[in-house]
Amino acid sequence: MRISRRVLAAAAAVAVVLPLSACGSGNDGGGSTDASGKVEGDITFQTWNLRANFKEYFEGVIADFEKKYPDTHVKWVDQPAEGYADKISADAAGGTLPDVVNVSPDLVAPLAKAGLALDLDKSAAQYRKEYLDGAWAGHQVPGMTGTYAFPWYLNTGPLFYNKSLFEKAGLDASKPPTTYDDLFADALRLAQKTDGKVATLANVPTVEDFGRYGVELMNKEGTSFAFNDAKGIELLTKYKELYDAKALDPQALTATPESSGKKFLTGAVAMNPGSALDLGNFKKQAPSLYRNIGITDQITSTGKVNMYVMGVMVNSRTKHTPASVAFAHFVTDAQNQMSFAKKVAIFPSTAGSLDDPYFTKEDGSDETRVRIAAAKSLKNAVNYTPVLFSEQMKTALRNEVAKALQGKESPKTALDNAVKACDRLLQQQG
Amino acid sequence: MASSSTVSGDVRRGARTPSAAPRVRRRLPAGPWLFAAPGLLITGVFILYPFVSTVVNSFTDRRTLIPGTFVGLANYRELLHDDMFWIGLRNSTLYVVGVVPALVLLPLLLALLVQKNIPGITFFRSAFYTPVVASIVVVGLIWVWLLDERGLVNSLLETVGVGRAGFLSDQWLLLLSAMAVTVWKGLGYYMIIYLAALANVPRELHEAASVDGAGAVRRFLTVTVPAVRSTMVLVGALSSVAAFKVFSEVYLMAGPDGGPAGEDTTLVMLVQRTGTGLTGRVGYASALSVVVFVVTVALMLLVLRADRKEDA
Repeated sequence: MRISRRVLAAAAAVAVVLPLSACGSGNDGGGSTDASGKVEGDITFQTWNLRANFKEYFEGVIADFEKKYPDTHVKWVDQPAEGYADKISADAAGGTLPDVVNVSPDLVAPLAKAGLALDLDKSAAQYRKEYLDGAWAGHQVPGMTGTYAFPWYLNTGPLFYNKSLFEKAGLDASKPPTTYDDLFADALRLAQKTDGKVATLANVPTVEDFGRYGVELMNKEGTSFAFNDAKGIELLTKYKELYDAKALDPQALTATPESSGKKFLTGAVAMNPGSALDLGNFKKQAPSLYRNIGITDQITSTGKVNMYVMGVMVNSRTKHTPASVAFAHFVTDAQNQMSFAKKVAIFPSTAGSLDDPYFTKEDGSDETRVRIAAAKSLKNAVNYTPVLFSEQMKTALRNEVAKALQGKESPKTALDNAVKACDRLLQQQG
Repeated sequence: MASSSTVSGDVRRGARTPSAAPRVRRRLPAGPWLFAAPGLLITGVFILYPFVSTVVNSFTDRRTLIPGTFVGLANYRELLHDDMFWIGLRNSTLYVVGVVPALVLLPLLLALLVQKNIPGITFFRSAFYTPVVASIVVVGLIWVWLLDERGLVNSLLETVGVGRAGFLSDQWLLLLSAMAVTVWKGLGYYMIIYLAALANVPRELHEAASVDGAGAVRRFLTVTVPAVRSTMVLVGALSSVAAFKVFSEVYLMAGPDGGPAGEDTTLVMLVQRTGTGLTGRVGYASALSVVVFVVTVALMLLVLRADRKEDA
């Protein structure tokens, strides 16, 4: 057999031109949006770093679902926390997105815009009343109509502080700061008393901090960012004072939540936000810190604390829409959310669940105290991170905040630049 | 067979086939292609296709989940006005300037040290090679602990009265720290290459130089360096490409944002940050990748050209 040069040339040309086909329009069709049919078929369910600690729980939920709907089979896959968004984006781009996916609102937004998330207001509206209104609205995308994921668990947390560091600085450890003004005053005093060796905070302000401080993050239409207002500038100016006085850890400019958590564990910083989950970590990893741990409410100027929302999305391209919707609802229904909440320090998003005695009745332990306080604050908590705030926007904000803290730009210029960069990225998102 | 060898012989000599000559449809035998097919397929799918795809994407506004449209040179024009691109280019270039001379010279000196066959030398060769086989993530984490504000290095500096340094918080110290880690990790690898080259240097040359009264330094400069010069060029070329494409060390030490205010971002970090995630700008990141490719090719050519000039 001989191959002519022409054939080889044609093959080479196809190889070169093939990528161009990727620039074509649109996605090929997909599954049905009708979830009213028979619940049957093999579906895949993807969670976000939950297998290690909750294998038994999820296997139980899946077994219960398969028992309820014998014609179904659920394959469970779990992805590590690190690079979860990248894994989803690779699957979404490659057409291998699982049928039911654990997501957060910021992950849902681009998937919904790309037409990959099922609109539950159309396909599963009958379940809406089972969830807290705020939680159901958590997976709505500005500029789009519809809701693109079932609300799953919620989380919020107190502010932890190191009592012994407070005492060393001559502060009353039984009276932790409750307002931003108190926080900044205590932080400056702590830095001054320890000659800059102990910082109070280890993270630069994030978009949630701006939200909690009362800064308007976006305009009402959700088409432009607005955190460069007078209040935003005021917050950043105060953080600059903290940074200059070393009340903000010098490595805060490059810190991640994990690295600042470690700083708190080692006693290098006096305060750190966290959740009830952290108490167990303190007990295990830093017993001496645990003995000195102080717990206080999140500081907020709006009266509403920040909460994190998790969701369960149904892939709009699934071949088994009824089964996928049924399973997503099953995982997030009141009974399963409640039993999950009792295994781990999270909070259900289903209506009425937070009134359960588990979230209201004290038993004297720290864990219960944190849980009850968090559950109470969740009733009017807000997810301050705008749904459209992408990773690239977070980076743009952090970089500009860092410039302001280093004194390379004024807080106003830094926030103006951050808003400009985020608006540009928002427009590019389409 | 005879005619084909004649044709290729003529081509080698620069002869041209007369235009009047009858056109012969040449066919290639399939056998060799079948043998080469697996390799060609892998190269095509995993190297050629992504490369061509990247070049094509660089002319589009493609995003992770949205195919995008042809935008001509818009991405290239945009990167000329992008501050982060210039920061990335500056840092990647500084990395080459800072790391390459150290990686050309230090492993050679190390190789000279461990070249001799004396008892226990194998231990030192293995010890120097250990960082090469260690995972870059592990290496990065260890160095982050060492260089932390409260880490071992800063504690030592404070003990001797120098005071703590912001190895992980100061823009330039951070870049220097990352460079030091790159050099530390690469020493063993290039040392092995030099050891192989040194083994081929005739001992007689050293002996003759010694007889002529040359000391250790002179022998190094007049015998060793000329003998391993081509290896030095190779090390220079390899390390400059690797340095320009640096990612892991800076990412691990400076964090995903690339240090304070992103000032330590390298070009490859910028590609990663821009092009990944659900809202990644694949088209723009592709344009950045093409720039990285062009610069690395230029670097290789520059080093090889310098080598040829030396030979001339």
